Amino acid sequence: MFSTILISIAKKEVLDNIRNKWIILITILFASLTLLVSYAGSLFSEGWQDLQVTVGGMSALVQILISIIGLMLGYAAIVGEVERGSMGSLLSMPTERLEILLGKLIGLGSVLTITILIGFGIAGIVIGWNVPDVNYGEYLIFIGASILIGLVFLSIGLFLSCIFKKRSTAMGGAIFVWFLFSIIWQFIMVAIIIATGVIENFESISIPDWYFGLQTINPLQSYSMLVSINVGTAPNQQDIGSVLGYPSFINNELLITVLILWIIVCISIAIWRFNKKDI
Amino acid sequence: MVTTAIKCPNCKTKVTIDAVPGEKIIISCPKCNTKGTFLLPRETLKVQMTNDSSAIQVEGLTKIYNGSKAVDNVSFKVKKGEIFGFLGPNGAGKTTTIKAMLGLILVNSGEIQINGKPISKKGKEAKKFVGYLPEQVAFYDNLTALQNLRFYAEMKDATREECVSLIEEFGLGEAINKKVGKFSKGMVQRLGMARAILGNPPILILDEPSGGLDPRGVVLIRNKIRELKNNGATIFVSSHILSEIQEVCDRVGIIDKGALVAQDTVSELSQKLKLKPRITLELEKMSDKVEKAVNQVKGVESIEIVGNKIEILCDPKIKAKVIVAIENAGGNIINLQIKEPSLEEVFMKYTEE
Repeated sequence: MFSTILISIAKKEVLDNIRNKWIILITILFASLTLLVSYAGSLFSEGWQDLQVTVGGMSALVQILISIIGLMLGYAAIVGEVERGSMGSLLSMPTERLEILLGKLIGLGSVLTITILIGFGIAGIVIGWNVPDVNYGEYLIFIGASILIGLVFLSIGLFLSCIFKKRSTAMGGAIFVWFLFSIIWQFIMVAIIIATGVIENFESISIPDWYFGLQTINPLQSYSMLVSINVGTAPNQQDIGSVLGYPSFINNELLITVLILWIIVCISIAIWRFNKKDI
Repeated sequence: MVTTAIKCPNCKTKVTIDAVPGEKIIISCPKCNTKGTFLLPRETLKVQMTNDSSAIQVEGLTKIYNGSKAVDNVSFKVKKGEIFGFLGPNGAGKTTTIKAMLGLILVNSGEIQINGKPISKKGKEAKKFVGYLPEQVAFYDNLTALQNLRFYAEMKDATREECVSLIEEFGLGEAINKKVGKFSKGMVQRLGMARAILGNPPILILDEPSGGLDPRGVVLIRNKIRELKNNGATIFVSSHILSEIQEVCDRVGIIDKGALVAQDTVSELSQKLKLKPRITLELEKMSDKVEKAVNQVKGVESIEIVGNKIEILCDPKIKAKVIVAIENAGGNIINLQIKEPSLEEVFMKYTEE
């Protein structure tokens, strides 16, 4: 029965997003952006670039887009239903709150995964036709990392949806989270570097290891480092490590663990809060 | 799907049919070709109830919101198979109590059992017995009526056919594939009622079932409530329309300012409050003699005479004495009406400031 309800809720979320054309819209957006970056994204050469160069160009775009999409899918999932009144009816069914939350995570996670797989998949095939000797392995790592970062932001969205009482407040929270990790974070990091007196002379910059450790807290930075380590070209300008080299502890295991931890922690707190929520 | 055999009313030939309980089907007799519609009665009590006599048991329920008690130490029992009306002024704690019964809110103290299962510990099991119509009925606006019901049906082990049959039963057959976002309030309410009885739950919790309905819809829901009761369902209904509650309920509970101030049958409550019946008599000719005779009957509280009509407020036990006194005084009764104390009077007495 647990799995039946979970699947029912997940299925509804997927069908909902198919009906309101979200899936189609995001898939087209991903595919067209990837093709655009591959064909017209390089200033130094003309025509189709191979997947490695495309991924480098796409990495920063993905950070902006997938984080927004993940948050948008998640922030209203619970609080929206509570506000609309449909949560009461859903909870009056033989269900548990855990099933509802996990069902939504699986359903919305599937929406995100499907759009990334199809969008980037179509773009990868088109690029493969036009560029010889394409390294699909690295492209698959990029797709996998993009799905993971999408799930992280979806989990943050669900967490916000469970801690706030109003949909509008949850949306405010989502906007803040996005600004924090996408924009404010870099200012904070620069401020920390300056305040700690690490940079005295701009001619010979030496970044301490703890700086990279601190950067991993931001899921977008963890994603960026993950892509940079595995694909390795066209560095994101925000990512100093891809230019100067990362300390040895910054590796796939750590970065993937950090991203997975974000999902686990957000969902655990979301479940705890949802269980205590009056509907 | 159930297989059953019926006899053709014309040639008495046995016809075997497959149908879903509650489904209306058109059959034609293979022998004489007589055509007719057949409604397979709904299976009742699909989920087995325990032998305990209480379908719902609420014990010492207290819920505090921001320091003030929304519900204060409320206790009541709803017996299996009865219709229990739950009344109270706005903000008295009705919806809070209902939400607590379904585990939608965390309570500060108290224990709620649905068919013997504590909602706090075995909520999922307890909710298998329940169908719920909330005060504010909400669906997924971008899904059709059928898609919405099918979503809930998956959780209640109900079939597609059952969903279709219920939608038709509530007069929404033509809108079955219409998005709920385009429904009127009354249509949403009807669909909400269909969702509540999806899967034939033995216990129904209905919060303002007539809300937003036109008179035809009100009658439909009232008849449905009666039909469900006849099929053995237990119904807990909260409503502001007291006349309706009085018409369908076996017992009522009155909540005021978070406390349950009364629970019993309407007649028992009016007796407790010493409410008097109102007798209205139309006479062929009114006379002073009649008025004097009625005034002399012990237990008559007040008399009002308008033309040939006399309205008497008296003790319920002396109704017959009053009538005899009028006849002995030469009053020729051509019309008689006895109005028992209404639930409205009971409600007003219990909830007065």
